[in-house]
Amino acid sequence: MDQFLQALVSGLLLGGFYAVMALGLSVIWGVMGVINLAHGEFLMIGAYMAWGLFRFFGLDPFASLLLILPLMFLVGYLLQIILINRIVERPYLMALLVTFGVSIALANTFKILFTSDPRNVPVVYNGSMQLVGITFPIVKTIIFFVALLSMICLQIFLQRSRLGKSIRATAQNKNAARIVGVDINRVYAITAGLCIALTAAAGAMISPTQAIFPFMGPPFTLKAFTITALGGLGRIPGALLGGIILGITEILVSTYVQGIGTNLGIVTSFALLVLILVLRPQGLLGGLRPLDAEAE
Amino acid sequence: MSAPLLSVYDLYAGYQDFDILKGIDLEVHPGEIVCVIGPNGAGKSTVFKAIYGFVKVRQGAVRFDGQEITNARPRDVLNAGISIVPQLRSVFPQMTVMENLEMGMYLEKNQTRVRRRIQYILDLFPRLGERRAQMAGTMSGGEQRMLEIGRALMLEPKMVMMDEPSAGLAPLIIRTIFENIQRLNREIGLTVLMIEQNARQGLEASHRGYVLELGRNAYEGPARALLDNRDVRRAFLGGQ
Repeated sequence: MDQFLQALVSGLLLGGFYAVMALGLSVIWGVMGVINLAHGEFLMIGAYMAWGLFRFFGLDPFASLLLILPLMFLVGYLLQIILINRIVERPYLMALLVTFGVSIALANTFKILFTSDPRNVPVVYNGSMQLVGITFPIVKTIIFFVALLSMICLQIFLQRSRLGKSIRATAQNKNAARIVGVDINRVYAITAGLCIALTAAAGAMISPTQAIFPFMGPPFTLKAFTITALGGLGRIPGALLGGIILGITEILVSTYVQGIGTNLGIVTSFALLVLILVLRPQGLLGGLRPLDAEAE
Repeated sequence: MSAPLLSVYDLYAGYQDFDILKGIDLEVHPGEIVCVIGPNGAGKSTVFKAIYGFVKVRQGAVRFDGQEITNARPRDVLNAGISIVPQLRSVFPQMTVMENLEMGMYLEKNQTRVRRRIQYILDLFPRLGERRAQMAGTMSGGEQRMLEIGRALMLEPKMVMMDEPSAGLAPLIIRTIFENIQRLNREIGLTVLMIEQNARQGLEASHRGYVLELGRNAYEGPARALLDNRDVRRAFLGGQ
């Protein structure tokens, strides 16, 4: 029973991280219909940035978010204007090819720059504490609450602010957004900036808990894809639910199924994805439907 | 008659190298409801898109309220005072009626003015007032169309352009939509340019009409006269 409870708590903590990690992919997909295959690479960049700032300036990975967020917002904004805006209106395959290319280019550039040696961010508080007989790893608990906080902020921004409403409007009906005067390309650039900043932040936050290397990205892209399939496109509560389902599933499987090895997470994620696509191709919450048909 | 609000002069426009419009002339005066009819492929929708900057104008001119707006961007056309109600569903389905109206005044940054205008529109369409908190996507087709018209009125446009306001609606609802357009015209002096496949009802609700054929003007005149014109009736109204 204790083991089960422990697994649930660990799964929940992991799920909070997964949700914030997946949001960038889900929101970009929902707003502009682009599946960003380079998603995991932006997480990798965030992790490397946290490592660099920690290693050379002694900056705590959570404090470094204050630098990483604005910088990566700019990266996402510019990438959208320079590259992705040119292919948004094109068929799906274009966006897949381009972002796949970006993914390969980024991973290999980082390999040349930093070699493929794994890097670590050994923060001093990387221990755990006991509470009512359950172990809470400190870093993962902090990540969970920071993730929750950033999702609440993002949700309020999307629901309340004028800019947030224009992003939702664009996601729901691009043509209608255009006729009320929304500058679609600017909305896309801001969306990309936000999403990529958030993804890099997720990378920075987990840097104390796992090895950082140039090819760490793809498993995260896959998991983000699974979570989006579970929770729906561009929906924050959906991403949270999807993240928690994946987190708990992963931990439960690794608790009770012995001796499968460290790649278990990916196996679970893939199995879950296949299961969803077979049973409910429209997504668990019905949110994977194609975007509104585009008017001429 | 007063000076025209909108004048389209010798308009050539189309897609790629192919002109769909081959010299269209058209005028709309303040306070008028003008209806453009014609068979499929006559270029009705292209007129609409050319005025709104969705297709390229190759020759001719579009003037609105003393301003040249030929090939202007949609945003500039909106700023000049033309709002549009497109043919396909254009509400934001997962936003409330209020939020949809708010989006109609996206270009206005003063929130007090936006709220005052929303109240004005909700008073104008009591039906929308009752449903202010409902998600637009869950309303009936007719209600969504009314919301689209209400949203188009948010920026206090000098003219509203509607591309087939009756498209996809049941006959009874179509009548309500046209009645509402006439009511807005009477009550607030709304100027309307509409394109209609439903030629007879469209003309009946209008002051003047234009009949397009193969990208050119075929007939024009007071709506009553077009409805009574034997040639127009035989060729375009499906009547005797």
